[in-house]
Amino acid sequence: MQEKTTTIEKAVGLIRDGDVVALQNMATQAAPMALVREMIRQKKRHIGLVVLVGGIAVDWLAAAGVIDRLIGAAVSMEQFGLCQQYRAAVEAGRVRVEELSESLLNARLGAGARQLPFLPSRGAIGTDLIAQNPDNLRLIEDPFDGRPLVACRALVPDVALVHAHRADRFGNVQVEPTALWPDLAVMPYAARRVLVTAEEIVDSEILRRHPERTVLPGFIVDAVVEVPYGAHPTSFFPAYGYDERFHRAWTEISRDAGRAAAFVDRHLSTPRSQAEYLEAAGGEPMLAKIREPASTGG
Amino acid sequence: MNARSADTAADYTVDELMVTALAAQFGNGDQACNGMASFIPVAAFMLARMTHAPELIWIASSVGLEPRPKRIPASTLEAALWRDSVMYIDQYTDFWNLVLNGRWITKFCVGAAQMDCHGNVNNSVIGDDYHRPKVRLPGTAGLADLCSLGKKLYYWHPDHSQRSFVEKVDFISGAGFLEGGDARERLGLSGGPQAVVSNLAVMDFHPVNKRMRLKSVHPGVTVEQVRAATGFELLMPEGELPETAPPTRRQVELIREVIDPDDMRKSGFRRQP
Repeated sequence: MQEKTTTIEKAVGLIRDGDVVALQNMATQAAPMALVREMIRQKKRHIGLVVLVGGIAVDWLAAAGVIDRLIGAAVSMEQFGLCQQYRAAVEAGRVRVEELSESLLNARLGAGARQLPFLPSRGAIGTDLIAQNPDNLRLIEDPFDGRPLVACRALVPDVALVHAHRADRFGNVQVEPTALWPDLAVMPYAARRVLVTAEEIVDSEILRRHPERTVLPGFIVDAVVEVPYGAHPTSFFPAYGYDERFHRAWTEISRDAGRAAAFVDRHLSTPRSQAEYLEAAGGEPMLAKIREPASTGG
Repeated sequence: MNARSADTAADYTVDELMVTALAAQFGNGDQACNGMASFIPVAAFMLARMTHAPELIWIASSVGLEPRPKRIPASTLEAALWRDSVMYIDQYTDFWNLVLNGRWITKFCVGAAQMDCHGNVNNSVIGDDYHRPKVRLPGTAGLADLCSLGKKLYYWHPDHSQRSFVEKVDFISGAGFLEGGDARERLGLSGGPQAVVSNLAVMDFHPVNKRMRLKSVHPGVTVEQVRAATGFELLMPEGELPETAPPTRRQVELIREVIDPDDMRKSGFRRQP
């Protein structure tokens, strides 16, 4: 079997300027932040981002000028409010949005995963999302009974970015019992390349103890990198909760482009490793706090 | 008409009234789910399950079936809300098998920045130019789907104002009655808007033309206040206009002490209630 372990630099090196990149994320949850930071560090440009519900990762990618289009259902940090850098970029015309409902995005990715030209949905009929997006959505008639359906054109991202609880060195990816957003069920299967960070790289024997928790087969994965706390500052149930202080610090300065850029830079340029990044973000006291049962919903 | 009784809470705030007014719309056997920043609906589901509707089915955060949260946490999406669930609902498969099937998830609570006289909602963009909006809002998430899929829709809005209640939304992110009349049926859509609970009043929709209609005003609020805060001509009910039933002592006690001691339900209000 082919070895897939590599460095974060080499993994992100597989992303080319202009690529469509699918990102695992919910508002404050499960974003592969180490991969996102490396994209910013490598100054990727003209990236199209696919996300179900994006949070701070989208805001950082917008602040750093990495993305110029977004395909997704929502962007929000929930209790921490709108993503202000993303919002400013859209309002200024620097990021173009293809807004889809969740069922339409799932249908586009599902068609991509199965090499179908499109999949239909009954979701979002009557909304302006359909007329706004004739390249990828069309109201069609059910060929059997004539009722209206939305045809959702296949979406094949160039790359999918995933963070997981553990993987082996062959790229088999395992998660703890948790909320399974579509990020694992369909995004990696639709994408041409799959880059994974995992809290730990383990021997395959460990995965064999719970094969029912393995969610991605190694043969579809291109690169796997061990990154402890690789989703920080977002939560990664059941391992750790979101870093409230970090999110709050970001929301307080993120309306100001200059201060936002400085904040991102401080968490990117100076730390030379994940350990140094975590140290700068609050070190062991912060990690102890996000591991508390109160933070992970216990 | 006055809905006060011996059980009426001596003191309550408008967020608590909105919770009880929304809870009254949910009964045993109904199936509900919630998305992010949905404190009022989540409080309403929890209250209904503790009082008149113990068999209201609830998928917390659209993730956890029949959860046992200790209290409402700072997020209605994160794990603390779907704590101790009987099942994790896989999003891509389980959740959309349920939502896309008209038999399941029978009712949904809709929250959005803008809502119009026919119950269409906007959570996408403010302004005329979609690609250069005045304000980029979060986006529709699952709202567009839930509004079109035969669910009964209950709206909540903590800031009833001319900015949020408009004649026509800038962008339809979730379909209400569209242009009104039979526009919704003509597109093959069943279900649709049932009631609107705001910080001032409860509204429903005219059975024929499907325009929003005042149903009851909250205690202490006048019809003129509601009209002035609404950006379109609100229809008036036939006969006397009732007052919204205030919460009972027991309801207020449960909301404050058990369900939401951290007052998360008060977020989103322009003035702290």
